[in-house]
Amino acid sequence: MFFESLRISLSSIYMNKLRSSLTALGIIIGVLSVTVMGTLISGLDRSFENSMSWLGKDILYISRWEWFSDMEWWEVRNRPRMKLSYEEKIREMSDYALAVSPVIQREASLSFSDKNTQTVIFGTNVEYMETVKEDIQFGRFFTQGEERSAARVTIIGSGIKDAFFEYQDPIGKYIKIDGIKFRVIGVLEKQGKFLGLFSVDYQAILPLGAYTRLFSKRGFMRLSVKVNEKKIDDAKSELQSVMRRIRGLKPGEKDDFAINQTKAFETQYNTLKFAIGGTGLFITILSLIVGGIGIMNIMFVSVKERTREIGVRKAIGATPNMILVQFLFEAIIICVIGGLIGLALAFGASFFINKIFPSTLPLWLSIVSIIMSILVGVISGIVPSYQAARLDPIEALRYE
Amino acid sequence: MSSLISLQNIKRHYEVGDEIVRALDGVDLTINHNEYISIMGPSGSGKSTLMNMIGCLDTPSSGKYEFEGELVHDMDDNQLASIRNRKIGFVFQTFNLLPKATALHNVEVPLIYSNIPKNQRIDKASKSLTEVGLHDRMYHRPNELSGGQRQRVAIARALVNDPSIILADEPTGNLDSKSGAEIMNILDSLYSRGNTIILVTHEEYIANHAHRIINIFDGKIKDDKIVKKK
Repeated sequence: MFFESLRISLSSIYMNKLRSSLTALGIIIGVLSVTVMGTLISGLDRSFENSMSWLGKDILYISRWEWFSDMEWWEVRNRPRMKLSYEEKIREMSDYALAVSPVIQREASLSFSDKNTQTVIFGTNVEYMETVKEDIQFGRFFTQGEERSAARVTIIGSGIKDAFFEYQDPIGKYIKIDGIKFRVIGVLEKQGKFLGLFSVDYQAILPLGAYTRLFSKRGFMRLSVKVNEKKIDDAKSELQSVMRRIRGLKPGEKDDFAINQTKAFETQYNTLKFAIGGTGLFITILSLIVGGIGIMNIMFVSVKERTREIGVRKAIGATPNMILVQFLFEAIIICVIGGLIGLALAFGASFFINKIFPSTLPLWLSIVSIIMSILVGVISGIVPSYQAARLDPIEALRYE
Repeated sequence: MSSLISLQNIKRHYEVGDEIVRALDGVDLTINHNEYISIMGPSGSGKSTLMNMIGCLDTPSSGKYEFEGELVHDMDDNQLASIRNRKIGFVFQTFNLLPKATALHNVEVPLIYSNIPKNQRIDKASKSLTEVGLHDRMYHRPNELSGGQRQRVAIARALVNDPSIILADEPTGNLDSKSGAEIMNILDSLYSRGNTIILVTHEEYIANHAHRIINIFDGKIKDDKIVKKK
C-alpha cells in the first residue's frame, strides 16, 4: 500500500513535470539558501579559528590605531607615534607583561639572484617568537647578540623561500633587502591566508638593531605584549595605566593610544556572522513559506482536476485514508525532490566557495534541510489531501 | 435460497433549501444470487439513488440494508469502501478509467486497495482482461483503445475481485450500437456463468436482456416482474 501510494504519487508528478518543477522552485531556493549560508558560515568559522590562533589570544597589541573603531581618522592621526623606548618602560612598570616585542614594519623589495619581490619587512627583538604562534621550520631565529649588534641576518616566510629558492637550501644564502645584503638564517612555517584575505607567508624578519640602523626608526609600529591569557583583562587595564603614565596623560584626558586584542576580532566577526546567518534564515523562511503556499495551491488544483479519479478510486474500494496518503505523498515528494535539487546545487556552490576559502557543506545541515522539506510538504499538503479524502464518491463521480 | 441483497423500507431524503426531496421513499427489494435485473425509470425517479444505495456509495436515511449478512445501513466510510472493494463491481456509462494508466494497471487498482501482492495482482488482472477478450491490449492506455474496448477494460476491472454483484450504470450509453451489443453479450455471458448483474438503464431493448425488470417512479418501486425464466 505504501509503495503503491508512492508509485501513484510519483507517476502523477511525472505526468505534470512542468507544473511540479515550478512548484518545487520555492523549496529549491529555500534549501539552497539555507545550505549555502551554512557552508559560508562553517567556512568562515574555520578560517576565523585558524587566523585567530595565529594571532594568539594571550597577546595585547599596543599601537596608535584601534582595529575596529568609529573614531575619525584625523583624531587618530594626531596621536603621537609609538616609540621604541616604550619597550623598556613597559618591562619596568608592568607586572603582567611576560614578553614585550616592538614590531616596526614597512614595504621593501627583496631580491635573490635574478628574482625579486615586493613585500613587508619587520624589525623586532628576540622575544618576537613568543608573541606569535608561528614556528621556525628550518634554521633558527636571531640571538640577542645579533639583535644588539645589528647583524645583517633575516628570517623569511615560506612564500619567499618557495619563490626564491624552490628546492635549494636557503640557510646561509644571501638575499638583498632594498639593495642591502642579508644572510638567511631561518624559514617560518607556512601559515596560509589570514581570514582568507592576504597571505602572511611573504615576510622577512630582521633584528631591530639592523632595521633601525639601515632603514628607519619611524614607520608603522606596534608593541606586542604577551600576558597570561586568564588574566588578560587585568593585564589590559594595567597596561593602559602604564601607557598613560608613559605618555604623561592627566586624569580626564582621553587615551592617545590603543590596546587591541583578538577579542575585538571576535566581536566584529560575530556581528558579521549573525548578519549573514540572519539574512540567510530570513530568505530561507520566506522562500519556504512562498514555496509551501505554492505547493498547497497546486495540490488544491490537483485535487479539483482529479475529482473524478478520486470518485472512481473510492467507488472501487479506496478508503479516505488511502486517498489522503496518496495526495500527501505527492506534496511530500515534490518537496523532497525540490530539497534534493537545492542540496545538489548547494553542493556545487560549496565547491566554488571552497576556492575562495576552505569550507564544506556540513552533513547535519543537509539532513536538516531534507527534514525541513518533508515538513513543508506535510504542512502544505495536509489540507488539500484531507479535502480529497473527504470527497463524497457520488458527487465526485458526477463531477465534470 | 438465502437472499444476496435485502432492502427493507429504504428511505433517502435530501434537503434542498426548505424542501425535502424524497429520492427513495420506502423501497423494499430482495435480490438473489445469479439474477439478471434491470432497473428502469425516468430521470428524477430515484433510479440513480437506488443504484448508489445498492452500490454502497450512499447510505439510507432510514431502513435496513443487508448485503450477504452484512448490515450496510450502519457502516462508516471505511467499511463502505471495503464492501465496495470486495463485493461490488462497477461499470459506468463513461467508463471512468484512469486516463494515464495502462489497461492492466486500471484492472489492478481494486486489487491494490485490497492489499494483494504485486505478482498475484498482475496474474488476476491479466486473467480478467483475457476474459473480456483484451489479452492483446493489456499495455494500451485508454486513449489508445476504442469505446467498446474501454468499457471492456472497465468490465475486467469490475470482475477482478470476484464481486458478488456487477452494477452497470447505462453501460452502453456512450457506445455505438455495435460496441453496445458486444458489451451486452459479455454481460449476458457473465450472467450465464453464474454472476449477479444489475443493470440501470432507460433503454427498453437494453433492459430486455435482463430476466427481471424493476420500474421506479417517484422514489417507489412501481412494478417488479420476472420477464424470462432462466
